Amino acid sequence: MRALVIDDSRAMRRIVTAILEGLGYEVRGAGHGREGLDVLDEGWIPELVCVDWNMPVMDGLQFVSAVRSNPSWRSITLMMVTSESEHTQIVRALAAGAHEYVIKPFTADAIRDKLALLGLLPQEVAL
Amino acid sequence: MTTIDSGERRRAVDARPLITELIDAPTVESIAGEAWIALVGEDEVLIPIPGDLPVDPLSAWVDVVGPWTGSVVLTTGRRTAAELTRALLGPAAPAELEDEDVADAFGEIANVVGGNVKAALPGPSGLSLPDVGDAPAVRNPADLCRIDVLWRGQPVAISVQGALPALPLTH
Repeated sequence: MRALVIDDSRAMRRIVTAILEGLGYEVRGAGHGREGLDVLDEGWIPELVCVDWNMPVMDGLQFVSAVRSNPSWRSITLMMVTSESEHTQIVRALAAGAHEYVIKPFTADAIRDKLALLGLLPQEVAL
Repeated sequence: MTTIDSGERRRAVDARPLITELIDAPTVESIAGEAWIALVGEDEVLIPIPGDLPVDPLSAWVDVVGPWTGSVVLTTGRRTAAELTRALLGPAAPAELEDEDVADAFGEIANVVGGNVKAALPGPSGLSLPDVGDAPAVRNPADLCRIDVLWRGQPVAISVQGALPALPLTH
């Protein structure tokens, strides 16, 4: 399974990437939403995108809206991973088309639990 | 045209809540402690004992803009900031850290602490991207909630500080 991790912090990309690779994902990274869209435009379509909210160039909410407006990317599951923890912001993200919302700081178990709920744990891990 | 000073603008500014009315030190300490455990490591606790910051501190902060406006500022020594970066990156840390690595990791910790402080304040509020460098000045000592802790024996200060009044212009 493939995952795209979009976060302007390289440190956070490394952390999320390590968690997902530990679960068996093939992972690519991007530093902001525009870079993330470039990866999708290349034709590298992941099952999962983990996207931060506050980023330069294109933020996570704009990215989610852009992905949702393209029918050929409908199969992608979008999970926001962000320090934006106000209830109104969570509602906005879900309304824009995010499937799940993980608040930083998080643990590897929290990510795993969310993926299990979404049915996105690679089979050998889920067993 | 005659302008009447009704005092409304002044009252609006005066009516802004002080941070001490909105959040207390134990809450900030709890938020920071959770961030440390999740980001830096499970055994990485913050001890609530004040220590003297070194003469060349480094700060990372995010701004909160909303019913309360100000900054959430983390300050520690440069060596401690580098050690924090290594702890955050774990095995992925490069052999030699660049200033950019430290700014990125320390900024992300400020982002996580700041985002959770923002969630404890009245909203809606916006959160800026993190900045790293010399700490923004404390504008109003009454609009300040500061905790001083030790991480691995090294001092770390976390300030939630208001952005008003504006600093005087210097020419």
